[in-house]
Amino acid sequence: MDVTNLTPAETERLAVMAEAERANEYLYQILDIGQHMLQSGAEVSRVEDSIRRMCFAYGAERADVLTITASIIVTIYSHRFGALTQTRRVTGMKYDLNRLELLNQLCRIVCSGQYEPEELRQALEEILSAKQYSFGVQLFIYALISSSFSLFFGGSVMDAVASGIIGIILKFIDRTIQKTDASPFLSAVLCSCLGGLLAGAAVRFHLGDSVDMISIGNIMLLIPGIALTNSLRDMFSGNTISGLMRFIEAILLALTIAFGFALAAGIL
Amino acid sequence: MQQYSMELITAFLGSLGFAMLFHVRSAEKLLFASLGGLLAWGVYLLMGFFSGEDVIRYFFASVILTVYGEIMARVEKCPATLFIVTASVPLIPGGSLYHTMEYFMDNDFAACSMQGLKTLLLAVSIAVGMLFPTSIFQLYQKLVSKRQ
Repeated sequence: MDVTNLTPAETERLAVMAEAERANEYLYQILDIGQHMLQSGAEVSRVEDSIRRMCFAYGAERADVLTITASIIVTIYSHRFGALTQTRRVTGMKYDLNRLELLNQLCRIVCSGQYEPEELRQALEEILSAKQYSFGVQLFIYALISSSFSLFFGGSVMDAVASGIIGIILKFIDRTIQKTDASPFLSAVLCSCLGGLLAGAAVRFHLGDSVDMISIGNIMLLIPGIALTNSLRDMFSGNTISGLMRFIEAILLALTIAFGFALAAGIL
Repeated sequence: MQQYSMELITAFLGSLGFAMLFHVRSAEKLLFASLGGLLAWGVYLLMGFFSGEDVIRYFFASVILTVYGEIMARVEKCPATLFIVTASVPLIPGGSLYHTMEYFMDNDFAACSMQGLKTLLLAVSIAVGMLFPTSIFQLYQKLVSKRQ
């Protein structure tokens, strides 16, 4: 196309298109940040708020954001490029409070200064590749949680030791299953069933005193108590759909875990 | 007394474990997050002097821990979620939720619905307890930013 022969209306149109293209790139990066916030365990309202702020910082005159646990939908308006909409499907949620904190900082920087889309992408990549606890430390964490709660609920020291050892074994199982991309429910059934069997075995070989007290430590690792509480929090703060989704998920997971332990009790 | 101190120590360690499980990395934040767990359980135990009702004890423990979380978020300049989620770990009705499902599997539906209702009430009292301080802090922030 010959650029010199354009009517003023056409040049204006081209300018709008260029502006829209740029806005689309920004929106994509902003959604990336929002998606990772949601996946690291941010509340729905925080994600919506952050996305809205970032859109305003990049010149949107109006931004409508709808976030549920499974999806983000954003429409931005501006007289310079009209209306733009992007949606994002979000799957899986795993608490990563360190990542959440870094994303929050990034969001603040984005709102205060101007980042190019490319710079934004790099900053995000840096956050995603931040160092995590090594596998050895993760084993220790599982043991620490299991034995702490075994004692917390009134178990003896031997119960706590047995619970800690079973916790370590469960971490190995969990890692193996997660490598195969299987459903979290499958992992929950296998871990709880094995946890129940091992607790029974531990008592039989006099490594612990009470199956219940050993199991409760391992159950705290598996049971979605935090998810249940947070789902109610979501519903109370007006995010009914997200809350309901998380609520049902928590109940199903709890049922699966109980089923796993019942299976173990049946075998023993 | 010995049982109480054991519960407090393990509440601290349990919160520490969950903070690490959720990838909190700085030693300072780990310490404050686990202290939050200890505080939450401490308030729960103290409330025992005033009320035998678990719902009320959980509610006040959750209010105090959220205030603590919101304050620490401003001191440490990070999201309050970090402290609130980890500090609420000793309170979360994981055991209660498990027993509910256990009764369900045993076909004991009367006990299941009793225990289920109790679990739900506990979760509600924690969630509502978290709601109040968060709203007040948000309101305060709005007032401050308007004045500037």
